Amino acid sequence: MSRNARTGLILATIALMFFLGIIVKYWLYGR
Amino acid sequence: MSAVLDTHGKAHDHGHHDHHGGYGGVMRWITTTNHKDIGTLYLWFSFIMFLTGGAMAMVIRAELFEPGLQIVNPEFFNQMTTMHGLIMVFGAIMPAFVGFANWLIPMQIGAPDMAFARMNNWSFWILPFAASLLVMSFFMPGGAPGVGWTMYAPLTVQQGMGMDFTIFAIHLLGMSSIMGSINIITTILNMRAPGMTLMKMPMFCWTWLITAYLLVASMPVLAGAVTMTLTDRHFGTSFFNAAGGGDPVLYQHIFWFFGHPEVYIIALPAFGVISQVIPAFSRKPLFGYASMVYATSAIAILSFMVWAHHMYTTGMPVTGQLFFMYATTLIAIPTGVKVFNWVATMWKGSLTFETPMLFAIGFLFLFTMGGFSGLVLALVPVDIQLQDTYYVVAHFHYVMVAGALFSAFAGIYFWLPKWTGRMYDETLGKWHFWLSMIFFNMIFFVQHFLGLAGMPRRIPDYPLQFETWNKISSIGAFGFGLTQLLFLYIVIKTIRSGEKAPEKPWEGADSLEWTHLPTPAPYHTFETPPVLK
Repeated sequence: MSRNARTGLILATIALMFFLGIIVKYWLYGR
Repeated sequence: MSAVLDTHGKAHDHGHHDHHGGYGGVMRWITTTNHKDIGTLYLWFSFIMFLTGGAMAMVIRAELFEPGLQIVNPEFFNQMTTMHGLIMVFGAIMPAFVGFANWLIPMQIGAPDMAFARMNNWSFWILPFAASLLVMSFFMPGGAPGVGWTMYAPLTVQQGMGMDFTIFAIHLLGMSSIMGSINIITTILNMRAPGMTLMKMPMFCWTWLITAYLLVASMPVLAGAVTMTLTDRHFGTSFFNAAGGGDPVLYQHIFWFFGHPEVYIIALPAFGVISQVIPAFSRKPLFGYASMVYATSAIAILSFMVWAHHMYTTGMPVTGQLFFMYATTLIAIPTGVKVFNWVATMWKGSLTFETPMLFAIGFLFLFTMGGFSGLVLALVPVDIQLQDTYYVVAHFHYVMVAGALFSAFAGIYFWLPKWTGRMYDETLGKWHFWLSMIFFNMIFFVQHFLGLAGMPRRIPDYPLQFETWNKISSIGAFGFGLTQLLFLYIVIKTIRSGEKAPEKPWEGADSLEWTHLPTPAPYHTFETPPVLK
C-alpha cells in the first residue's frame, strides 16, 4: 500500500469513528 | 524561503506538458483531475453561491428596511435567514478557501498535484448536487426549513420535507469537506519537495494543514448530529425529541462542538492568505513565523474547548459557565500573537498599498474588531443580556465577512496574475475595496447599537425605535451587494482583456509559485520536484 493511501485511510478511519462514535454514544446513553 | 538549487520545473513546464488532458469544452471540467482546474471550479462555484446567499441577504434587509411586514411573510423570512447562513458558510466561504488550497498548496510545496487527484474531482462535483438539494428545499411542501443555520431541535423535528433535503445536503457537503481535508493533509505530509521541511512551508500551507485536521475531527460530528435529527424525524428515535425522552439541549452541545471549530475552519485559511499578502507588500519576511505556527495550533486546540459559550443561557452550572468563559478569553492570546505579528511585519517595511494589501489591512482592522466583540460576548453576564440580539449578528459578520471574505478578496487580487497571466484593473480594485469597506461598516457597525438596544435576531418585524439603524443597515447592504457585482466585472475584465502580467508582479512575494514558476502558472507544474535547501 502506498504511503499516500495509508495516510488517507488513517484519516478516513478517524472521521468515520467520530461520525459513528457520536451516534453510538448517544444511542447507548438513551437506552 | 529557501535558496534555489534546481529550477527544473520552471524550464520544463512551458513545453509539451502545457495541455488540458484528453477532453475539451465542458467535459474537460467534469473529468479534470488537475488541481488548478479543480481550484478554479471551487472558486467559481463559491462565487455563484456567494451571489445566491447574497440575494437572500438582500431579501432579509429589504424586509427589515422599515418596521412592519412588507415584502415576505414571516415563514419565508425564516427560510431566508436559514438558507442565507447555510449557503454562505458551506457553499461560499468554505469552498472558496478549498479553491485557494487546490490552486496553491501543490505549487507552494513543490508537488505536481494533490495526493488523490480523482478524489479531488469527486470532492468538488458533489458540491453542485448538495447546493441543488438546498435550493430545491424551497419547492418542497412547507418550503425550506426555517430553523436557522444551526438547525436546533426540536424545531427540526417539526419541519416539512425541505428539512430532509437540507440534512442530505449537509451530509454531501460534509463528505466533500472531509475528502478535501484528507487530500490536503496527505499532500502536505507526503508530497513536499526535497528540502521543503514543515517549518519552511508558506504560512498558507500551515494554516490549511491545521484547518484540515479541524475538519476531519469536527465535520463528522455535524454529520452525526444531522443523522440523529433524521432518525428522530423518520425512524422513531428520540435523541433530541423531548416528547420521547430525548434532550434538545444535547443537540446544541453536539452542534457547537462542530460549530466553534467551524469558525476557525473558516478563519485559519483566511489568516494564511493574509500571512502571504502582508509580507509581500511590506517587502519583509513574515515576523515571528514559528510563533505564527504555534499560535495557529493553539487556536485549533482551544477551539474544541469553548463550544458551550454559545449556550450560556441554556441553564448550565456556574462552574461550567466559568470554564467556558475563561477558555474562550484564552483564545485572545494566540489570536493577539497573530495580529501582533502581522503589524510587526509591516513595521518599518517598504509598504505599498495595492488592492490585495488594502483588503489585508481592512481585514486586520475589522477582524480585530470582530475579535473584540467576541471577547465581549465571551463574558457570561454580558452574553446573557446580548444572546440572540443583533450584537451577535454584528460580531460574527465582522469575523465572517470582514475576516474571511476580505481575506478571500485579498487572495484573489494577489494570485489573479499567477492564475490568469493578466493584471486586474488597479483603479477598479481600489474602488471595490473602499466601497466594500464603507458599505460593510454601514451594514454591520450599526447592528451593534441595535443589539445593545435589545433588537432580537431572526425577526421580520421590529418596534419603531429600531427603524433608523435598520434603514442605514439596509442601505449599506444594497450598496455592498452592488459592489460585489463590480468585483465580478473586474474578474471578467481581467480574464478577457487584462494587461499581460509581468513574471513576478509582486516583488516581495517569496513562495515557490512566485519564485520557481512562470506567470501564468502552466497547466502542469513541478512534475520534477524542485530541490531546496
